[in-house]
Amino acid sequence: MPGLNVVPVETDVLIIGGGLAGCMAAIKAAESQELRVTLVDKSNTMRSGCAASGIDHTWAYIPPVHEKMGYTIEDMAEDHRQVISYGFFRRDLFYLVAGTNYERVLDLERWGVNFRYEDSKAPGKFRIVPQFHSVPTSFNFDGGPLKPVLTEEAEKRGVAITNRVQMTDLVTADGQISGAVGVNVRTGDIYFFKAKAVVLSSGRSNRLSRNPTGFDFNTRMPSPMSGDGTSMAIRAGLPVINIEFLSNILGPAACGNYNPNYGDPRNTVQPAARIIDGQGNVIVPRTRFYDWENLGKEKWTEEVRRRWIEERKASRGVKRDLAKRLAQGEGPFYLDFSEATDEEIDYIEWSIRNEGKGNQFMRYFQDEEGADLRKNKQEYAGLWPREISGTAAKGLWVSKDLETEITNLFAAGDEVAGLPWQASSGAFAQGWYAGEVAAKRARKLKGFLPLSEETMKARNELCTEMLNRKTGFYWKEVEIGVQNLMDFYCGDVRSEAMLKRGLERLEDAKAAPMKAGNPHELGRCLDVKSIIDNAELVLRSSLERRESRPIPFGFHRADFPEQDDENWLVFLAIRKEPDGTFSFSRIPVDR
Amino acid sequence: MAFNHISIDEELCNGCNECVEVCMCDVFAPNPEKGKPPLVMYPEECWFGGCCMSHCAQSSTGALTIITPFQMRGGFKRSCSMVR
Repeated sequence: MPGLNVVPVETDVLIIGGGLAGCMAAIKAAESQELRVTLVDKSNTMRSGCAASGIDHTWAYIPPVHEKMGYTIEDMAEDHRQVISYGFFRRDLFYLVAGTNYERVLDLERWGVNFRYEDSKAPGKFRIVPQFHSVPTSFNFDGGPLKPVLTEEAEKRGVAITNRVQMTDLVTADGQISGAVGVNVRTGDIYFFKAKAVVLSSGRSNRLSRNPTGFDFNTRMPSPMSGDGTSMAIRAGLPVINIEFLSNILGPAACGNYNPNYGDPRNTVQPAARIIDGQGNVIVPRTRFYDWENLGKEKWTEEVRRRWIEERKASRGVKRDLAKRLAQGEGPFYLDFSEATDEEIDYIEWSIRNEGKGNQFMRYFQDEEGADLRKNKQEYAGLWPREISGTAAKGLWVSKDLETEITNLFAAGDEVAGLPWQASSGAFAQGWYAGEVAAKRARKLKGFLPLSEETMKARNELCTEMLNRKTGFYWKEVEIGVQNLMDFYCGDVRSEAMLKRGLERLEDAKAAPMKAGNPHELGRCLDVKSIIDNAELVLRSSLERRESRPIPFGFHRADFPEQDDENWLVFLAIRKEPDGTFSFSRIPVDR
Repeated sequence: MAFNHISIDEELCNGCNECVEVCMCDVFAPNPEKGKPPLVMYPEECWFGGCCMSHCAQSSTGALTIITPFQMRGGFKRSCSMVR
């Protein structure tokens, strides 16, 4: 049977995934105007990735603020290591991210993103709020238009943006990257890229759990994301780190089933939001923003850190308990804004509208329902799908220059392991740096490496088959099957027997013939292939980690209920060997 | 299961296809007839990001509307009384 049409593309730097990290990489790589830079996205970079519909925050070490507080970047490193990532920490990545993200913020500002506010009393008129660390380190900003701004900047610099192409395979020659394969999910063409350097920035794993709304694409993070980069990497022989961890534990979620990404009272809905129970008892109190009159007067001390740790443990502890308390019939719980000032409500609404689906949720809440934040308490700790390996520790292992074991293949953003909760800061900082290093390498190479057609032909054959089958499963059936499998055999509490049974049943999913009616459905079938690969890694790494680690990663083994730092405070790396078996190694964390 | 939450008004839509271009989930397809509203092909694959609405050239007219599906509604207290 004739195969799909092949579109060959030659480029110097190829960036796989046009989210925040990918856009930054492309913008930086194209800076010299000497190289051909191609940015590929399975959606449209205007609205793709975790910040597709907007983002309201990014954290950094901010010298004009933090120096006045007597807070050093070393203090921040310790905050992050101890209290954010609980020991899962790469110091080199932290310094890259915390140390350069402020410069990236200034770049974003130059390109048209607003970070300054007349009513702000902070240095630079930034809106700087407490969120992750023991002092305020997060910028709140007008991140609604961020992706269109980045897309425009990339286009201005001559980046060739290739939308609606879903990448499926990396191609190497003697341990060096030589290209990649993808599929256009609108035209059905196979895209065959020849490249000198590649940046992998396709984001997180996703869609590994059913959604109680029946809309399985109603995920917290944008649903097209399906761990494609992880799938490509594991098949290319690269190790994937800590995919067994949860990033969002089933339970705490805002607004019932809508899944806007505005999190908990210490995030988008601060400072006025508090959590109350059905009787009106306050179980997590509100916070206050930093009083900028104090800047320079109160110096940061270990005592400040100690107080922050206590407060953080208290509020996080309560939130972690909510799922348990709900299961014991103690709900419902609510987000309460009844005592917020007008100014605080304005701020919170502004924040929500910039963050994720918040804008759409507020449209529903205010326009469709005529509801009011203060009068109509939003239910908190509603049903919400388990989020495996989101902002947790999962990703690829890279050198300090963001290079993988495959020469000239780099990774950036959520694709990279080692700095839990690096989020947008990791994306901006690592995207930029990966773009810089990839460009340097591409400039050094005189020509292209041999690009074997074997992988491309195999992908073409598989896609052609899926489009031409007389019978086969609709992709959705297989996806739901895998999600059910993960929820049941790889749930909140895992055990050897259940995980092994899950792996047994996953074999059926791997072998399931899927039929695609058109290129769009073909793309979805390919999503499912990635989801299956990710699911296998979660199951296998869960089996390997013989301990429990409830905080902060929600990892529970019924058969190994104790936390075992001596053996397991490590980055657990899983790798697929050429013979198809899996091997593990433990990489020490930075102390 | 036929989800029905996105609707495009034929009179108000000018067929610019911005929604088709930006939708991350590829929910829409251009109408074979130029100038006509796009087809809502895969509503069950909606992420509810609202980018279709925010990029709609005719957004002030309400050409593209989303009625939040029932199972995603109501996660809040309707009465105004303070919870005691």
